[in-house]
Amino acid sequence: MWRKIALGVTMLASQTLMAQEIVFNQKAALAQVYQKAVEADGLLPMNDLNVDFGYVLYLAEITTQAESEDLELENVRDYASVYVDGKLQGRLTDNHKKIVIKTTPGKYLLQIYVENIGRITYGPEITDNSKGLFGEVTLDGNEISNWKMIPLNIKKFPIKDLKFESRKEAATPGFYKGTFKLDEAKKTYLDISGWGMGEVWINQKYVGSYWEEEKQRSILIPAENLMQGENEIVVFELKNNQQKTMKLSQTPVFK
Amino acid sequence: MNIYKNLTCLLLMLFLMQACALKAQTVSVDLSGKWKFQTDVMDFRRGSLSPRYNHVLQEEIQLPGITDDYKIGYKVPYQYIDRLTRKYEYMGPAWYQRDIEIPAAWKGKKIFMYFERTHWLSSIYVDTKEVSAIDYISVPHNHDLTNFVKPGKTHRITVCIDNRFQYKTHKWNHAHTEFTQINWNGILGEMKLMAIDPVYIEDLQVYPNIADKSIKVRLQVNNETKKQFKGKASFTINGKSYNLKNELAVVSTDSVTVVEANIPIGKNAKLWDEFNPNVYEITAQLATSDGKTNYQHEKATTFGLREVKQGKNHVVLNNRPIHLRGNVENAVFPKTGHVPVDDASWERIMLLMKDYGMNHLRFHSWCPPKAAFRMADKHGIYFEVEMPMWGKDAEPDEDRYNFFRREMRAILKEYGNHPSFVLYCNGNEITGNFDFIEELTSDAIKLDSRHLFSGSTARTRVKSDQYYVSQQTNKGPVKVYEGLPNTDWDRSTESDVDVPVISHESGQRCVYPNFEEIKKYANSPVEARNFEVFRDMLRKNGMLDQANDFFKASGALTVLEYKAVIEALLRSSKSAGFQLLSINDFPGQGYAPVGILDPFWDSKGLVTPEKFREFCAPTVALLRYEKSSFFNSETFVGKAEVYNFSNAAIKNAKLKWWITDASGKVLQKGNLKSQTIANDNVSPVGEFSIPLKGISTSQKLTVHLSVNDQIKNSWDIWVYPAHENLMKSTAEVLYTHVYDDAAKKQLALGKSVVLYPAPADVKGRKSMFHNHFWNPIMFAWAPMTIGNLVHNDQPMFKDFTTSYHTDWQWWDILNNAKVIEMQSAPEKLRPFIQVIDSYDNNQKLGIGFEAIVNGGKLLVLAVDTKTDMDKRPATQQLLYSIDNYVKSGKFSPQVNVDEKFIQSFLNK
Repeated sequence: MWRKIALGVTMLASQTLMAQEIVFNQKAALAQVYQKAVEADGLLPMNDLNVDFGYVLYLAEITTQAESEDLELENVRDYASVYVDGKLQGRLTDNHKKIVIKTTPGKYLLQIYVENIGRITYGPEITDNSKGLFGEVTLDGNEISNWKMIPLNIKKFPIKDLKFESRKEAATPGFYKGTFKLDEAKKTYLDISGWGMGEVWINQKYVGSYWEEEKQRSILIPAENLMQGENEIVVFELKNNQQKTMKLSQTPVFK
Repeated sequence: MNIYKNLTCLLLMLFLMQACALKAQTVSVDLSGKWKFQTDVMDFRRGSLSPRYNHVLQEEIQLPGITDDYKIGYKVPYQYIDRLTRKYEYMGPAWYQRDIEIPAAWKGKKIFMYFERTHWLSSIYVDTKEVSAIDYISVPHNHDLTNFVKPGKTHRITVCIDNRFQYKTHKWNHAHTEFTQINWNGILGEMKLMAIDPVYIEDLQVYPNIADKSIKVRLQVNNETKKQFKGKASFTINGKSYNLKNELAVVSTDSVTVVEANIPIGKNAKLWDEFNPNVYEITAQLATSDGKTNYQHEKATTFGLREVKQGKNHVVLNNRPIHLRGNVENAVFPKTGHVPVDDASWERIMLLMKDYGMNHLRFHSWCPPKAAFRMADKHGIYFEVEMPMWGKDAEPDEDRYNFFRREMRAILKEYGNHPSFVLYCNGNEITGNFDFIEELTSDAIKLDSRHLFSGSTARTRVKSDQYYVSQQTNKGPVKVYEGLPNTDWDRSTESDVDVPVISHESGQRCVYPNFEEIKKYANSPVEARNFEVFRDMLRKNGMLDQANDFFKASGALTVLEYKAVIEALLRSSKSAGFQLLSINDFPGQGYAPVGILDPFWDSKGLVTPEKFREFCAPTVALLRYEKSSFFNSETFVGKAEVYNFSNAAIKNAKLKWWITDASGKVLQKGNLKSQTIANDNVSPVGEFSIPLKGISTSQKLTVHLSVNDQIKNSWDIWVYPAHENLMKSTAEVLYTHVYDDAAKKQLALGKSVVLYPAPADVKGRKSMFHNHFWNPIMFAWAPMTIGNLVHNDQPMFKDFTTSYHTDWQWWDILNNAKVIEMQSAPEKLRPFIQVIDSYDNNQKLGIGFEAIVNGGKLLVLAVDTKTDMDKRPATQQLLYSIDNYVKSGKFSPQVNVDEKFIQSFLNK
């Protein structure tokens, strides 16, 4: 009987430990991973930017004339989050290519962060292999031109070389850093609920990606990526940049 | 005396009972043979006109069979480019009719009409009344006619088979596609009329328990007498030198009774797996009585004593991890146009799997018939089967959802006993409502514990997934489409998620079509009219004589890619396996000749099964190394591993390595430490180094590795001396990267010019080592080339060791080159490095060629000769070989070319 209770207490303790909240209180600015920009009148797909998979930031100056205008993309492969002067407007995919931009009329910088998740044989729906943005982008029906396209070296940039500082309120994409403590380096699941789309590194080793539209809400962290004591976690987030915390879970998390 | 008399009486009674029992057994009447027939392209039924079943049909057809066998339908005038062409298309209702006398003796019996496989709605009309309609696509149709036919009477039975799409499902689903098997109309396999006693076994399922070597038998007994029945169910279990009997009493008044029995089958019973495919047969005999009438029914099924569980990274079979070496099966049956339902056809496929070292077949968006399972049970092949579900099929549509709900249950019931049925997935690359996918998956798990279940291949994960087939996980890519000249990599980290991960549709490297296959379709319902178009185009472009060379050269490249792809996936110790797309050609989706077997599953002659098994088998010797091309100042370092998913560890394994030259002479050899190699794992077994300094001339060497002299594998490497002062002009030979006045002057003097434009200055496609992915018609993206044909017998290759096909030493040459469009050059001009064009374009392409221009000798090479040359030994060697050639008396181009052609492919 006593043993049972003792066991129960230990389990409870370890569960509490596993459920600890990881607070991301540091941020590294994205500009650190900018690669050479390409400028062109029209959009260039990632193929023409020599980006096989990964991220590109598409920039253009826009002039809005009404408080609410439709931004429409002809092609999005595979995912884009749209910002205007650093303010999130929404996200786009190939099934959902139109959003409303809300501004007071004026000149703004349109920032579209696009992720290409690698070539997939979609079957009948997609028979070309262009990635990123291509075709036209229109604002209230008028084509936006003069693009600056900046490939982002998210996956291959050495995490140790990122310069982090205390997090401020700015809600643009970037890298976030936090730490958590473990009594024992054993396999766990990182619960990414609440975060939008991004990538994760633990102790500077890449462990996986996430997307809020998947039912799967966790990433397995193998024991070999973890250490007893303090562990460092870095997250690159494309969209839900107001998120502050993540949790660890002993089981896979699905919604 | 009395005793004797009684005994006789008893014997007599027994005899009577037996006679009675025999009479009470299932009786069936074979329905194969001649049927009256008529097409119905106007769909009279739906048009409220006078439907076919009101009339005596006017034509005849033999069943089992399909309409194509009788050239029924629309005679297709087209040459479909993107697939094989069906000679006679038919999609619509078709009517089959026979007058059948129902035996008077069948009074009181259940009467069924059974079709083993049809496509896909079958409806039965008794006289002029529709009495039954079934639209399963994966399982037999068993129509209950009991209430509609009268024993002793002759009925006109009219069957309508409607092969139109019954639901809005994806047209590519292999269960009903027109593009691999065809969307046939007909009835296949067993077709019969059956009479069964009204207390009968509707379902017999066997659930093995390997821990205590027992089986749980679950009988569903249907009782249509509306009375209580009593009796016994007896079981006979037979296997190789095995026999067991068991029985239990049954009594019930219900119309449906489930009887369960746990039957220990003894410690001598053998488990089933790929190495020991021990199959047992269980026969359940039901003998009951309602007090007045005796009823008897018998049902049998085969089963294997095996359990499947979800392991950490692998599928676990009988408590041991297995690794799946599989092929994607896409219902490719051009010989018949339909899936075979006979054992012999499927046995051939299972034996081919074994021949090529595989243990797994994924049935992509379809589920094969019983014979496939039977032969997989017999030969130990693990199946993944699916419903006809693909793409948007999970978008909301309640009719379609209900079809899938029924179909899933029917598949589990019909094929669930087969030990080869290891994995179930709903379908391929599904999009839509994943709550529905989760519902199907979790329901299936509750229904049947004998398989592992997965929501969809290569798309959104669901909670109930017990394994995952995908190109990628949330940790990165797990598919491998192509090899690399280095092998120290794998897909382990990316495969390590919460469920076992199987690499989805790996491979897919296109081979140039073999036009010799055209004649194989003479007696098929389909033909390769696309090949005729491609062949005619090649003829028109003056290269028909090269068709076989293109086929062989691109085929050789596909073989070496598959070796690299498969080895990468075998090095991935945390991968549950792979599904190659595919060992045989895929004749739809643009037509993808990616196989080493043709669509008939006949070898293309590109690789022998023995050679294939060196890199695809239960035990494979593997080697990790940094590159394939070396300077002779370098050292080859090999890190040896052994993939062992056989049936045992390898005790005291002797591990040898050696390196041979082209003649087979052993140059160096050595042993790794003898050791025991674990089973069910990929084990590092040691490292060895081979200094290459003794290799003074450029050559291909082969590194070999063996385990106990039985398991062998080998890898080619190329060793080159370093060269300096390459490409130096002399008075006789001018090297130039531009076609300028100096070059023209040199040619006009009858001298030699080597033109080596920077790739950026050459128009046309970028050269790529890999042959095209899948096929250039469906995926019209780079490279749009299918490998290269090297004219290796020509003198410019004297000092550059190469085969007629490109191999890994060509990596740095081809990936730094441009493809010159040469169709406008004279027909006789053949580039010495000839690029094989996409077969729907068939233009002459090259990277290097020679010609006479303005009286001078010109050699053109569209290869980058500037970037990182100190890391490109093969390019150096090629330049060296060409240099020797152009400065020798052998440089004598034969074909005159107008200077305009030279200018035509240069940017400036």
